[in-house]
Amino acid sequence: MDAAPTVLDGAHAAFIQGGVSVIVASRDAHNTPTLVRALACRVSPDRRRVTVFLSASQAAALVAALRAIGAIAVVFSQPSTHRTIQLKGRDAAFTPLAPDDRERMTEQIALLVAELTALGHPEGMVRAFLDFAPDDVVAVAFTPAEAYAQTPGPGAGERLRR
Amino acid sequence: MPIGLVAIRDCLDGTLPAQLATCAPDGTPNVAYVSEVQFVDGQHVALSFQFFNKTRENILANPRATALVTHPESAARYRIHLQYLRTDVEGPLFESMKAKLAGIASHTGMSGVFRLRGSDVYRVLDIEHIPGLELPARPSGRNLLAAIRVCAQRMSACLDLASLLDAVLASLESVCDIHHAMVLMLEERGERLYTVASRGYEQSGVGSEIPLGAGVIGVAARERTPIRITYMTSEYSYRRAIRERLRADPHAPKLETEIPLPGLPEPCSQLAVPILAGARLLGVLYVESPENRRFGYDDEDALVAVAAQIGTAITALEQAAEHHAEPPASGVRRAPVSGAVVAIRRYAESDSLFIGDDYLIKGVAGAILWKLLREYLYEHRTEFTNRELRLDPAIRLPDVSENLEARLILLQRRLAERCDFIRIEKTGRGRFRLCVGRPVKLVEVAG
Repeated sequence: MDAAPTVLDGAHAAFIQGGVSVIVASRDAHNTPTLVRALACRVSPDRRRVTVFLSASQAAALVAALRAIGAIAVVFSQPSTHRTIQLKGRDAAFTPLAPDDRERMTEQIALLVAELTALGHPEGMVRAFLDFAPDDVVAVAFTPAEAYAQTPGPGAGERLRR
Repeated sequence: MPIGLVAIRDCLDGTLPAQLATCAPDGTPNVAYVSEVQFVDGQHVALSFQFFNKTRENILANPRATALVTHPESAARYRIHLQYLRTDVEGPLFESMKAKLAGIASHTGMSGVFRLRGSDVYRVLDIEHIPGLELPARPSGRNLLAAIRVCAQRMSACLDLASLLDAVLASLESVCDIHHAMVLMLEERGERLYTVASRGYEQSGVGSEIPLGAGVIGVAARERTPIRITYMTSEYSYRRAIRERLRADPHAPKLETEIPLPGLPEPCSQLAVPILAGARLLGVLYVESPENRRFGYDDEDALVAVAAQIGTAITALEQAAEHHAEPPASGVRRAPVSGAVVAIRRYAESDSLFIGDDYLIKGVAGAILWKLLREYLYEHRTEFTNRELRLDPAIRLPDVSENLEARLILLQRRLAERCDFIRIEKTGRGRFRLCVGRPVKLVEVAG
């Protein structure tokens, strides 16, 4: 399996860890989809694994779906530029948080808050919807099998070019 | 009690885009941004369909979808569980979403990229409140229900159309905090609307016209549905609409262009609501603001309620005028006046009236004044009734009777703005007086 090339290049990895909006979706056994806003993400050094962090209390159905089925779709979008990519995987699994993950979340959230407040969104409101209780956070790791460009306009929906 | 869609509809009007999760038949989930989610009614929402993409493919194969929406002030989040029903590619819902999307696109720098292909209508199966930090709701200075009550009370005290329209615009300002508003009526042939009252503009613009289908007002009239835009966009501007209309049809009926439409040069929020009597379109109530997102779903509801009462009141007033018209005062003759003679010219080709060198009005209102002045000059009359105008073939008024009253208001206001020696005074139900303060002569100009 090591021969399979990673779908993410260095620029993509930097982009999705750079304080963007992260939304995670899965589906249950009846193909009913569900979704939640994630707080941040981490890309492994070889870019073959992506870990997203989310509040478990906000995502009961999603957590159950990920545990049962493991199919995952994650969209990353930068509000100021609309630059958007979506990653899909089939092997999502819960994993313990790394020691520096909390710091990572705080940093990425701070970048996103700055981004959204610069666009005119009230800071208090932005901080509220990116707020998290540390004990509530779970980490979900997956191997991105497919990556798509989803920036609105020509080229949206195409596979990401490396 | 389950959460009602109405209770969370401000989340569907927010500055933060919604996200939608769908699932392919093979079980692969997909998640994408949605530019616009529209509240349709208590059980339905519509999502903007802008691109042929995976979301589209998925909902056609598997209609279950879930949307994530966020309240723009409190940050409250909800998952809305949806079942895809159909896609509208024209009609009231499509047009109202298309207009709103134009504002969103322009606000987010996506003009030319965001284009509405269709309105995807979904049934709401369930709404899930997502736990998380929320900000307390800020108390609003406005209470729309109380405002509607005041509007309704003031309107029901009005005995004629002119005072009704003035009461509406004054109430919008004093109790709804809406400072720029106008009322337009549909002209006889149903091709254009003309401004009959306005408030909050340097020039009243009474007499200005808009073709049906042009700009926010024209689209609201054509589709008989409220059109609401929450950000500045040039796509629905009046000037642009006129230009495009001329390009599309150089032989379109000539519009009133001497009188500019009143209006803010760059309104950030616009709301146009049709005034209906049953299924019949009477006109449009239009409000605007220099503030972004000034009008929400609740404001739209309030204006629809006010417009409904205007429609009912216009019909009732007209019936009353018809059945209880007082006879014209008899024996009143014109008194001699002194001063230099003013020529009043009528250009047959353009059907327009000039007082001295100044343009006054054209069309039906012009024809009315011309008739009145002829009767005044040659029959020495000053007292008139609505009924005789309605029966006069030269004025070419069809049976739609509320238009006469509106035309008289328009004429009365144009005279008040443009001519200091001719005025029209109401003297009773369905009757009025022509007052002329200087000697006049009438000149017909052919061609």
